[in-house]
Amino acid sequence: MKETSNTQRPTPNIEQAEHSTLGVERSALDVGRFLWRILDFVVAGIFIFAGLTKILDFDHLIADLQHLRVANAFADLGQLSLASPAEFASDIDNFKILPWPVSVALAFYLPWLEIFCALGLVFRFLYRGALSILSASIVVFTLGIITAKVRGLDITCGCFGHASQHWSFPAHLLTNLAILAALLFLFFKATSGNTPQNAV
Amino acid sequence: MKSSLVAQAVILAALALLPAAGEAIYFRDKISWRSAIAPSEMVSVEQAREWNGSAIWVDARPDDDFAKDHVPDAISLNEDRWNELLPQFLAAWAPGKKVIVYCSSLSCNASREVARRLRKEAQLSDVFVLEGGWEAWLKKNR
Repeated sequence: MKETSNTQRPTPNIEQAEHSTLGVERSALDVGRFLWRILDFVVAGIFIFAGLTKILDFDHLIADLQHLRVANAFADLGQLSLASPAEFASDIDNFKILPWPVSVALAFYLPWLEIFCALGLVFRFLYRGALSILSASIVVFTLGIITAKVRGLDITCGCFGHASQHWSFPAHLLTNLAILAALLFLFFKATSGNTPQNAV
Repeated sequence: MKSSLVAQAVILAALALLPAAGEAIYFRDKISWRSAIAPSEMVSVEQAREWNGSAIWVDARPDDDFAKDHVPDAISLNEDRWNELLPQFLAAWAPGKKVIVYCSSLSCNASREVARRLRKEAQLSDVFVLEGGWEAWLKKNR
């Protein structure tokens, strides 16, 4: 084996220090990525739930969970049925912005778009596209509920299907803003170059 | 990067179209693309008048509006006090009776929502929404 001269070789102390600094940086980076992934899953979970509440009828399940009737909730899980898209279409129509046929088309389309984008976050597939669609949809919904409030319309945003039917305006607004903040954080993190290797 | 972001968004948007189209086909007979309320669930003032005696009128407007004026013999049932008012309505209802729900005008949603909840939560089948609401009833009756 060829020996390197002493002048070229770093002293053991410096090498050790560099290693430990690198180790600290690396573990900090790992923790950062771990937290980032958790946020991905949390945001994805919210949108999967939002999408599913519009596709499946969770009304009984949610009511039972609210009243801590756990046994009934399990029974409800076995009897889940498709939700009527007319309900979400009515929620969209209540904004009085779009004609009814467009509300119906969106009632069929938006839940699936939310679910596909959420799966994009979970599997880091089409990641930035998913984040941009979800951010845009939250911005549109938030502007919608603000303009509805200004126009004096008493509406539900339909964000979580009929589960969010009785939410107050501040509750709608705060939820949407919190989700938007999380989405923007993920988006800037993803575009800042500090991207995990497998993100597309 | 911008173009890849747009391409990713377009792919996701296109993917979501497939199950949405499937769902639209599945529900093709259960939702009207023309009107928020299926024509079979609406009733005109003239038609409602013919049902006189065999129908219960339900006022879905807020309490204040109901207190000011309402269709004679109408029962107040609004979403603000749903749990309180529903038993009163059910006490007045009898099998075979049609239910006509109205709110203030053509553009209001309260009657649609109350009718939906009566069908779903009270399991009633003959529930109709009055076309044009209270305004239409006033025009034809005063």
